[in-house]
Amino acid sequence: MTFYDSQACQAVADFLSGLPSRDPHNFQKWCSDGPKQNITRKPASYVPTKDIPSQQVIVTEKTNILLRYLHQQYEKKAVKHGTKRDGASGSADEEVQRKRPRYDV
Amino acid sequence: MATSAHHYVVTAHKPTAVTACVTGYFTSSKDLNLILAKNTRLELYMVTPEGLRPLKEVGIYGKIAVLKLFRHPGDQKDRLFIVTARYNAMILDVQGQGDNLEIVTVAHGNVGDKIGKPSETGIIGVIDPDARVIGLKLYEGLFKIIPLEKNNHELKAYNIRLEEPLIQDIDFLYGCANPTIILIHEDVGGRHVRAKEISLKDKDFTKTPWKQENVESHSSMVIPVPQPLGGAIVIGQESILYHNGTNFLAVAPAAMKQSTIMCYARVDSAGNRYLLGDLIGHLFMLFLEREERPEGPVVKDIKFEVLGVISTPECLTYLDNGVVFVGSRLGDSQLIRLNAGPDEQGSYVNIMETFTNLAPIIDMVVVDMDKQGQGQLITCSGAYKEGSLRIIRNGIGIQEHATIDLTGIKGLWSLKVGGESLHDNMLVVSCIGDTRFLYLCGDEVEETDLGGFLQDAQTLWASNVNNGQMVQVTSAGIRLVDASSKTLLSEWKTPSGKGISVVAGNTNQIVCAAGSELYYVEIGKATLSLLGDKMMENEVACLDITPLGQGKAHLVAVGLWTDVSALILSVPTLEIVTKEAMRGEIIPRSILLASFDDNCFLMCALGDGSLFYFSLNPITGALSDTKRVTLGTQPTVLKCFKSQSTASVFACSDRPTVIYWSNHKLVFSNVNLREVSHMCPLNAMAFPDSLALATESGLTIGTIDEIQKLHIRTVPLGETPRRIAYQESSQTFGVLSMRIDVMESSGLTPMKPSASTLAASVSCSSSVGTMIRPSTSGPSSASVPSTPLECGQDIEVHNLLIVDQHTFEVLHAHQFMQNEYAISIVSCKLGEDPNHYYVVGTAVVLPDESEPKQGRIVIFQYVDGKLQQIAEKEARGACYCLAGFHGKILAGINSTIRLFEWTSEKELRVECSYFNTILSLFIKFKGDFILVGDLMRSITLLQYKSMEGTFEEIARDYNPNWMTAIDIIDDDTFLGADNAFNLFVCTKDGGAATDEERCQMQDAGRIHLGDMVNCIRHGSLVRQHLGDTCAPTTGSLLFGTISGSVGLVTQIPTIFYDFLLELQDKLSKVIKPVGKIDHSYWRSFHNDRKQDPCEGFIDGDLIESFLDMSREDMKEVVSGLMVDLQGTGMKQQATVDDIIKVVEDFTRIH
Repeated sequence: MTFYDSQACQAVADFLSGLPSRDPHNFQKWCSDGPKQNITRKPASYVPTKDIPSQQVIVTEKTNILLRYLHQQYEKKAVKHGTKRDGASGSADEEVQRKRPRYDV
Repeated sequence: MATSAHHYVVTAHKPTAVTACVTGYFTSSKDLNLILAKNTRLELYMVTPEGLRPLKEVGIYGKIAVLKLFRHPGDQKDRLFIVTARYNAMILDVQGQGDNLEIVTVAHGNVGDKIGKPSETGIIGVIDPDARVIGLKLYEGLFKIIPLEKNNHELKAYNIRLEEPLIQDIDFLYGCANPTIILIHEDVGGRHVRAKEISLKDKDFTKTPWKQENVESHSSMVIPVPQPLGGAIVIGQESILYHNGTNFLAVAPAAMKQSTIMCYARVDSAGNRYLLGDLIGHLFMLFLEREERPEGPVVKDIKFEVLGVISTPECLTYLDNGVVFVGSRLGDSQLIRLNAGPDEQGSYVNIMETFTNLAPIIDMVVVDMDKQGQGQLITCSGAYKEGSLRIIRNGIGIQEHATIDLTGIKGLWSLKVGGESLHDNMLVVSCIGDTRFLYLCGDEVEETDLGGFLQDAQTLWASNVNNGQMVQVTSAGIRLVDASSKTLLSEWKTPSGKGISVVAGNTNQIVCAAGSELYYVEIGKATLSLLGDKMMENEVACLDITPLGQGKAHLVAVGLWTDVSALILSVPTLEIVTKEAMRGEIIPRSILLASFDDNCFLMCALGDGSLFYFSLNPITGALSDTKRVTLGTQPTVLKCFKSQSTASVFACSDRPTVIYWSNHKLVFSNVNLREVSHMCPLNAMAFPDSLALATESGLTIGTIDEIQKLHIRTVPLGETPRRIAYQESSQTFGVLSMRIDVMESSGLTPMKPSASTLAASVSCSSSVGTMIRPSTSGPSSASVPSTPLECGQDIEVHNLLIVDQHTFEVLHAHQFMQNEYAISIVSCKLGEDPNHYYVVGTAVVLPDESEPKQGRIVIFQYVDGKLQQIAEKEARGACYCLAGFHGKILAGINSTIRLFEWTSEKELRVECSYFNTILSLFIKFKGDFILVGDLMRSITLLQYKSMEGTFEEIARDYNPNWMTAIDIIDDDTFLGADNAFNLFVCTKDGGAATDEERCQMQDAGRIHLGDMVNCIRHGSLVRQHLGDTCAPTTGSLLFGTISGSVGLVTQIPTIFYDFLLELQDKLSKVIKPVGKIDHSYWRSFHNDRKQDPCEGFIDGDLIESFLDMSREDMKEVVSGLMVDLQGTGMKQQATVDDIIKVVEDFTRIH
């Protein structure tokens, strides 16, 4: 055996020693007399007839990426701007208050 | 008038290609599950000490593109995330256990966008390891995020712009404060790796924690590594890179260079060990060797070694205790075990089980090889080293457990010898002039003698009988033997002294005949008493005295020579109750009284393999309802046996058949054995519920499958089969195949031995001066390439294989020229020439040509074990398809259709051409009508005008469908399959008022199949018309798909279509599809341009799922369904049994 081969063998042995086992019984009763063909039976067909409402619906946000980006930029800028103008008094709470609902519509 | 086109399409063999597999705790927190995706179906298994236990097969209304398990923090089990090819996403969970298991759709929705260019590298779906978000790459330039919030009713997905072009792979990194992806992308400079952090608040990528420019130029896979190492492994063509932003390490193992890595599996949760598989089926280990440092562990070395050879993997998953599932698309999937030490070949892989896979079915033929009216399907399956021919036959299977070398068997019986034994332990084998006794001890079988039984005489009947006794009947007489002491208790001989010729019996009664003399003997304790006798008109040919109820039989069945009749006699007087003459002059060979669930029959098999059967009134002995079926061609022996405790009859003949009772009728089902002369039931300790069968090769002990199904035999080729044709006259198949040769310093060398290099004889194309210089010597090596090939370069080498129809041995391999691809084959007769020829169409494929400009049509004859090239014709393009057309050859060559005639000089001459196609890929014809399937312009119908010698375009489908297969259903109806996985039917309307209408095909039906059809052939896998059916179908076309499924399309009458449509509608309301995808949406015709509702087709898969429902659900489906099954014109409320009968009849057409 060459040096390389023995190194390779050692690497494989390291790899294969102590392979993970979640339940040591799994596959232990498998009769190992050579390869078998299709002995695992096919699962039975499942026909769902119970109506179980789904808890969640996956929807895609309608907003265009560019618009979303522009809105975000605008808000960021507005925040920056606001901080500058309001000077030291600008706290987070006041930021929120600066937006007032419109009553004129 | 346009014909109404109504069709029934159903899957005869479900897809077998494994496209994805995952392991996790899905059905419960304690069940380790293996979940497989096979095109549109999910299969759930559980890992147990015995192996994989099947749980459920779940149909999904869509082609599964993403299959991932994930676990919410704090949860005890995993959830399953699926995205279909039509962008239906779903999150599934499981409630209940065992048979009450219910799949719950926790979340669902369509994640497709209205605009967007579908991702060129396919759909990629990845889930953050901390289950915060799901990431989807569906379209170029966009990355879709689905936040996994448990308590929101809406999961609001959004797109993020992904500036990196040509993304090769994406995954989420472990251990990041914010979800962070790692991706490989390509630009003009090469391929680069980049980590990108997602801000869920800003809905954008916020920063790039690290990146690595210019990784290996073929890097294609990224494997994120769990904490504490973190970072990712990047797999290239020849090298492996580990990178975590601060440290990186790269290796270029020699073992990697041979092929491309296809998939990986993480072995341990710490992320040190990985398994990788490549395209040529190597299984590798990848081991990250750590070094502990104060600041945390770092990767010191990457170890990469070959572990062994597996099926070409599509996906890998580590199950438990060293067992790995290898999912394959190109070959059989496998369950393998990793051994701690190498075997003699140096392999650490032990194959535990293989799972048959037909995919991809590239071509196929339907052949009735035994001339029994039942087709066998021979497919070109698999690719590269997994390439094979598969022979598919419908029938009942016998699982062989033992075979004993014994021939000349004339009768078989099983006995319980030695008293109290519950199991059979002796087989009585009767041969001419003697009898052998085989003692079954465990699974050992030894020949012995049996006290009280004659050994030097042919046994006519043997059985255990009442009072712990046994009986042997020979021509000399009846011997009654004690079963425990094995001593002779009584003996009976015919009063006339004539030898017994025929006998039948049960545990209490024996009836035997000596010529025309008939005797009735009852068995008592140590006594045999003659209670009746009768002189028959003719010699007795066969007898039976099987009791039809409990206790003694009171009827005897007799078949007579000369007048060919079947009689029912009463016991003990042997008075004739009924006499029934059978048409014809063939003598009856075997007669049987059989009862199935209180329905009694008299069956009588004749010497020519046909079977008469009559309904029998068990009280009066009256016979009615004479029916006849042909089972085989040889004398048939009928035997009763019990299979899964249902009474069945085994008809031994050259076409062994099992007859059983199912849904109020007799069902005849083939057995997957070639010839059975005798059989007896055997219930031995080592062989419970088995059958002993006398076959050509000897005595076989086996068990019988519960149900009829498709049986598949594999003929491995080791190279890719592309086309197949059958030639009856030479009893061969012509198969076009492709193998890969590698340029080495000595010339082109096959990568490994395969069918074309191992053929009994070989030849090659070499005599064409005008073409590129072909190889001049030898089958493969030493060919002189026209353009110098680089060392190590792969090239495709194409061959014509001549395969024996019976043995499937490759008799001859003919190699085509370098760069010459063989792409079509047909077997036909030409002109007045009586010979059958194989005609092969080829293309010369040069790398710098966008479309082949040259090709050939080559004519071969296989005769007397030799393949000769008879003629060849150069073609100005690729000869994509061929058909033998009334002694001429039709060929689709690039954008033309050409008709060649065969001259008396044995040359091909162009007779006429048609030019209006993009690429003529497929040709089918019927009479003078020719159907052409185009690359992208759907189908066109031509007519050949023999007088003028021209083609005329009759009608055309103007839809821009990209075709994958076509066929002609009938004169006016045409079937097409397209590359968007749809089937459609077009009709021509020859009677339409205007020319414009006439030349336009009508769109008469369409359905989404969700699978790519590669070939369509007329034929059927079941024997037709065995008795009455409620399924009035016309014609049968079989199709083979890329995922390995076989489907069937058949025509149904309008009235039946309407009924089935109503049933389908009812079913789609009662069945609540997994993932909440609407059935009508799923089956709607769909491509990148349009979506049209399904029409003209009945979804047979949905219809037949009726039989898998509970009785209550069936009732719900049937309620309000009106049927007219008697055809009286009066509709009645259907009963569940009515519908079961109809649906079962439909299941019998495939």
